[in-house]
Amino acid sequence: MKKKKMVISQETMDLDFVRKVEILSDTSVRRCFQCGKCSAGCPMATFMEHPPNRVVRLLQLGQWRRILEGRSIWYCASCETCSTRCPNKVHLASIMDALRKLSWDAHGPSKESYVQLANKLFLQNIRTYGRQYEMRLAAVFNVKSGQFLKDLMLGPKLLAKGKLKMFHSKNKNLSEIEKIFSRIEKMRKKGEAL
Amino acid sequence: MSEKTSLNYSYYPGCSLHASAGEYDQSTKELFKTLNIGLTEVPDWFCCGATPAHNVDELLSLSLCAKNLELAEKVEGDLAVACAACFSRLKTTQHVLLENDVKRKQVEKAIDAPVKLDGKVKHLLDILARDLGLERLAASVKKPLAGLKVACYYGCLLTRPTDVPNLDCTEAPTIMEKVMESVGAETVAWTHRLECCGANFTLSRPGVVIQLTNAILESAKTAGADCIMVGCPLCHGNLDIRQKEIEGVFSTSYNLPVFYLTQLVGIAAGLSADKLGLDAMIVSPARLLKEKGLM
Repeated sequence: MKKKKMVISQETMDLDFVRKVEILSDTSVRRCFQCGKCSAGCPMATFMEHPPNRVVRLLQLGQWRRILEGRSIWYCASCETCSTRCPNKVHLASIMDALRKLSWDAHGPSKESYVQLANKLFLQNIRTYGRQYEMRLAAVFNVKSGQFLKDLMLGPKLLAKGKLKMFHSKNKNLSEIEKIFSRIEKMRKKGEAL
Repeated sequence: MSEKTSLNYSYYPGCSLHASAGEYDQSTKELFKTLNIGLTEVPDWFCCGATPAHNVDELLSLSLCAKNLELAEKVEGDLAVACAACFSRLKTTQHVLLENDVKRKQVEKAIDAPVKLDGKVKHLLDILARDLGLERLAASVKKPLAGLKVACYYGCLLTRPTDVPNLDCTEAPTIMEKVMESVGAETVAWTHRLECCGANFTLSRPGVVIQLTNAILESAKTAGADCIMVGCPLCHGNLDIRQKEIEGVFSTSYNLPVFYLTQLVGIAAGLSADKLGLDAMIVSPARLLKEKGLM
């Protein structure tokens, strides 16, 4: 991707979006003074084009589009090292959560859709079965992402060790989980929650 | 010492313990039975949502955990959690809902019930080291793990985040080492005990996981460890199940068995390999245990 020059002006700064991120993550990006501890400790920083401290800087400047165009948020492993080490209590892991949610809402599948696909299947599993069934999750993921052979070699070994369950039962109180999902959807439609 | 003979807990195993980490579930139940600690599984618990839920939908994640905390109220005792991810989510939910009124009201609406936040959530380590106590743990040892060098791996979620009251110091925890030393094992000092293994990407980015996990295995091996101990089924999945694959990719050999904490404490308490599910481990511990005279 060609680098676009950043122009900072009232037109390019969108602080409404940043405010939404701050509400969702319950933290303030303005507290950050760019010490860089978050990026120094981040195990995934080498995979990101904007390391964690720069994500916060871009938010301070209202340049959130640059973040969502890139892959940084989809390479965050949610290990929370950044939040733990921040001297100013900027909860960076929550900011990443908020950015992923807003990106998910606004754009649907992105370039990094494998991560989204995995997340989405995970949530669907909870809605349908109440619990997670790893074998099912992995199998459906492979089919939907077209990687039929991914980790196939692990399969027989895991089966032999009794680590993959072929059959599973649904929770008895499954209707309650469905209610939680649909209530949240309703609240969002009515604008009662972000 | 006061007579706290009857320790009873409600038990939240989490999804992994009912599938790929069956031996963690089994060894936990066996060990707690031997130590006379009661565990009653929370009836019809749900998935806590783990990392994928809060990754894209925090409200859903909080609601799922709040629902589980409500279900746990039906069983007497503090909530014992085996999985580090479930532990972190349940604790974080309690903390967030206590601090943030807006989110609490939203969650109450989503689960259509008042949230209950007074129950205590405890990881198995907490129960062994503090509730039972290291002295009583040491007294239960039948076969001290003498000469076994253990690399205690905390991973990321066991001690994070800082602002949530948690298991131990975030940056320099010692609880795993204390438990291991009280059952006679040696622990090694190593660099990667708090680094993330990338569990969230197991499905979507195995290449990344392999790199991160390799660094952890390498660090443990360099420090002279015989084996690794974990308290999280996701860490175990990466370190144990993917170890052969990693050895192939990086043309190296680690051969480090990866135990759950309940398995190692169980061996010390004199439980058999069968009861602890040791044959479910992909990297076999048989030779190591024979060498040290433990099996």
